[in-house]
Amino acid sequence: MKRLAEISLKGQPGAFAGSLMNCSADLVARACEGDQEAFRLIFERYSRPLISFVYDQVGNRELAEELTQETFVRAYRSLRTLREETKLSTWLFGIAKNVARESLRARRRTNQHVDLDDKLVLNLSDRGPVPVKQLLNKELNEVIQNSLALLDEDKRLVFTLKVFQQCSYEEIAEITGFSIPKLKTDLHRARTEMRKRVGSYVRVES
Amino acid sequence: MKCDDCFNLLEEYIDGEAIERDAAQVSAHLITCAACAHEFEALTAEREVYARYDRELTVSPAMWSAIAARTTESRPINSGSRFSLGGWLAGLFATPRYAFAGAAAVVIFAVLIGVMFLRTRTPERPPPPETVARINNPAPTSPTPDVVANSHPPKMGEPVLSGPERHPLSEVSAAKLQKNPRRSDQSGVLFTDAAYTDIEDKDTANHVAQAENLLRSVRNLQTSDDNEEVDVSYEKAESRRLLDDNVVLRRDAEMAGKYPVKKLLGELEPFLIDIANLPDKTTPTDLRAIKDRVQKTEIVAALRSY
Repeated sequence: MKRLAEISLKGQPGAFAGSLMNCSADLVARACEGDQEAFRLIFERYSRPLISFVYDQVGNRELAEELTQETFVRAYRSLRTLREETKLSTWLFGIAKNVARESLRARRRTNQHVDLDDKLVLNLSDRGPVPVKQLLNKELNEVIQNSLALLDEDKRLVFTLKVFQQCSYEEIAEITGFSIPKLKTDLHRARTEMRKRVGSYVRVES
Repeated sequence: MKCDDCFNLLEEYIDGEAIERDAAQVSAHLITCAACAHEFEALTAEREVYARYDRELTVSPAMWSAIAARTTESRPINSGSRFSLGGWLAGLFATPRYAFAGAAAVVIFAVLIGVMFLRTRTPERPPPPETVARINNPAPTSPTPDVVANSHPPKMGEPVLSGPERHPLSEVSAAKLQKNPRRSDQSGVLFTDAAYTDIEDKDTANHVAQAENLLRSVRNLQTSDDNEEVDVSYEKAESRRLLDDNVVLRRDAEMAGKYPVKKLLGELEPFLIDIANLPDKTTPTDLRAIKDRVQKTEIVAALRSY
């Protein structure tokens, strides 16, 4: 098995020039060679999905930013261990999952309560009259966030990876280490639990 | 396709995870079944609601600055030619796929090193002579194997056999017991599963070797045609000792799921019982019956092939 870091770009005409050179494998190879710009491009590409994913796990904005930062630092330090057959996104989500879980467990051990953000509600009161649609969206966001927080860790993990990050079952299995039957069961149960809380916001045309 | 089957597959279908055949069947069913189609719409609407979920998160430029600062400080991955064990281990544990396996491997490796160290550190203490004698001769009145060999003068008409031929077991087992004094001197060994299994395997191997020698010894016992009784006191004592071990080892093998070992020890046990229940001086007929069974069942070959 070849490591991505071992892919040499030297001697290739137009290396780094074309957009083709910005595919994940090339970015990793360049970052491994010490190209900071390549790693910045990786950050730009994956920071949004990763911070969303981490936020869904921990439910706190500041903590999510801190953990996303930690995810990228860890990823940078172990880029050489990334193997060719592993998708960069899957690998990054795996690191993010570990970082988020470690944080949640550390807080649980020290009995620190992770507060969910109440920023959405504060924003509503600060802005005065709000259009109904916007109000509903804010409310819905809050309901979804609270409902996610009520899921247990495994179910939340599987649900957010599938529903929000559109990962395939294989990718989820690789990120979480769960078997496909387990993640299918967790996903189904998570959906059922979420439906109970979010169901009233779902409008079906009859 | 039945509605129940369709219902069970709907989530996978919506996720694009249903296999081709199932997806085709669900599609066909949704056209004809209003109830399932309604369920499908509900799931689709639910998906749209989740798609609207806005966390109002922004990735601040400060985040990249912080990451850049931290990665520039350390730059562990760019020191290509210089290998750092610490960095390699840190990278290994940061990688989600290998985190658990890596940790487990390190723990197992450390335990094995510890066990090997403790085993080599334990001073070689040969068991006192009286212990060896007691192990070889559990019956208080039985003489030691050497004594047996020397104190058993050939009878008239009996072929003269040298000590080892008469009792090959005595010297072999004594030597083995001195080399590996079974579980009597394992105080320095950490009883991890791995170490325990290893010791059990060695015990079983020693036991099988001793049993094989015993059965060979019995098979080689000479019987006369004039119904003269044969002295089997040594074989009997040895068989009793082996019988106790056999029961324990057979149960251990069963517990550990080592069924071939369990089967072998199970086949051996009736022979040990029969020999252990012989009188000190047995009739040639009884002895011949055991010898015939040893021959017929090829138990010695089975023991040897362990």
